[in-house]
Amino acid sequence: MSASPTEDARPALAAPEALAALDLFALGRQAAAARDARWSGRGFFVRTRRPETERVLPFLFRHGESDAERLTRLAEIAASAAPPSAIIPTPVGEPFGLDTLRCFALCRLALPRVPHLHADVTTLGPRLAQMVFGFGADELYAPIVAERALRLGDNANNPSLTRKEAVTLIRGAGLLPCERMADGTLQEVTP
Amino acid sequence: MTTFAAIRDKVRASEPLSLADGVALYEHPNFMEVGALANEVRERLHGDRTFFNRNMHINATNVCEASCMFCSFARLKVGDAGAYTMSHEEAFGRLRARIAAADAITEIHIVNGLHPGLPFAYYTELLAGLKRIQPSIHLKAFTAVEIFYYAKKFSMTVAEVIAQLRAAGLDSLPGGGAEIFATRVRKKICDDKCTGDEWLDVHRTAHRMGLRSNCTMLYGTIETIEERVDHMLQLRALQDETGGFQTFIPLAFHPDNNALMKLPAPTGTEDLRTYAVARLMLHNIPHIKAYWIMLGVKTAQTALWFGADDLDGTVQEERIYHMAGAETPQVMSPAEIVRIIRNAGRTPVERDTLYNVVAEGAALASDKPFRRDVRRDNLKLEVVS
Repeated sequence: MSASPTEDARPALAAPEALAALDLFALGRQAAAARDARWSGRGFFVRTRRPETERVLPFLFRHGESDAERLTRLAEIAASAAPPSAIIPTPVGEPFGLDTLRCFALCRLALPRVPHLHADVTTLGPRLAQMVFGFGADELYAPIVAERALRLGDNANNPSLTRKEAVTLIRGAGLLPCERMADGTLQEVTP
Repeated sequence: MTTFAAIRDKVRASEPLSLADGVALYEHPNFMEVGALANEVRERLHGDRTFFNRNMHINATNVCEASCMFCSFARLKVGDAGAYTMSHEEAFGRLRARIAAADAITEIHIVNGLHPGLPFAYYTELLAGLKRIQPSIHLKAFTAVEIFYYAKKFSMTVAEVIAQLRAAGLDSLPGGGAEIFATRVRKKICDDKCTGDEWLDVHRTAHRMGLRSNCTMLYGTIETIEERVDHMLQLRALQDETGGFQTFIPLAFHPDNNALMKLPAPTGTEDLRTYAVARLMLHNIPHIKAYWIMLGVKTAQTALWFGADDLDGTVQEERIYHMAGAETPQVMSPAEIVRIIRNAGRTPVERDTLYNVVAEGAALASDKPFRRDVRRDNLKLEVVS
């Protein structure tokens, strides 16, 4: 199975004003539909990243920005000659939970040429990182480890996930867990 | 066969959902659709109104005879490391400090361990003394588990315990200690607590005596989905009988520092789904509270779109969840709560414990400018099953 997305799977993109006017569920539903059209309901995790073939671009967002401001910056990325292979929305300061969910949906809908939208467990925490799968994210971005000590004391903010945890989080969000392998193939995890 | 479309039709016709419906909502693959349906009910009941109050917590002692496996708060004996029992003056000092800081708190939430050595007068004097300091304060105190414990320990009926506490100043009961009603689960995780039926009976008695109360469910330990939904149905049945519950509060298990710490904590979508299922199952309980202390501010704010209409209060000095690893702050200012609610596209309403409106609209200032990021002009959307 090839990991390269097909151009045809892209749904038509709504105008920015239309996106900003959508309520939370409508926006999430559109973003999740766009993700599913591209990736057939799969949610990814990666054990071995290949920095030489992936261009991951952080998208910084902060509390107090409007949808319109975010869409303007996203349009610049969308218009670039060589768009990144993945975007990683990164909160600056403390945006609220709903800010984060909307931001993910806007990223998915405004960047049809960017195949992957990463949910970064380090900056979002595991709870929010799972929720954004309802809003267009397609990949858990976290170190996948064989074993992790309990998140206690100094280890409380350890973003690492075991393979089993990653699969549980993705499946809990209603997606089909799928590993992106180092050779570029996709390997679905069957229950 | 229970389909999502059939459940949606029932919800829109205001028909009660069944155990099978509740299980189907938990198992529905798309948590967003379950959330959108719960949001319909939330908006039908409350529109955008989102409630909070100004309160403080007093956990007067953590000495506790019970050894529940999910608890990180209790110290079993006086003198154990970390064990404490407040003197009355210490407890009163907490309230005086709030008054000195010009905090217009309207409620004190009091929950304690089951201390084997304190006389009943400790509790009545605690209530009476707080009322002497601020007669208008609402005392929401003692879970059903504590009331039941006092009845056994001091050889009184539950009604006698409640009557005496009420004479001393008790105004309503908090909802804690319900955990999960299923006997199988209680035997394993909280065998020393009263049974589910006994918990319900304390609330039934309180409701019949004219007191209001809240109710809770601890989720994420060893219970099944069926046991969660059954728990909600038992609460709903008592509510049909008495109408005394104001608010249901789902409580996520926190796995730090307790005997169940090998269990994973509930995940983000599981939290949201539990709020949504609760809103859909408990049609006769007016409010669903997203307890920010336990959920974290971000998840609690998101829950305001998944069935919840209440964020609890400003909260001072919460200890129970913080000893279980909660990393939330222990206090939010009213302005912060107002800002979080407005940022969610909702309308903040300061309430008292009984949901009388204390302040709303322009009377509720948020201390920093906020931006209404969530637009609400496009609400009528088809829910796809």
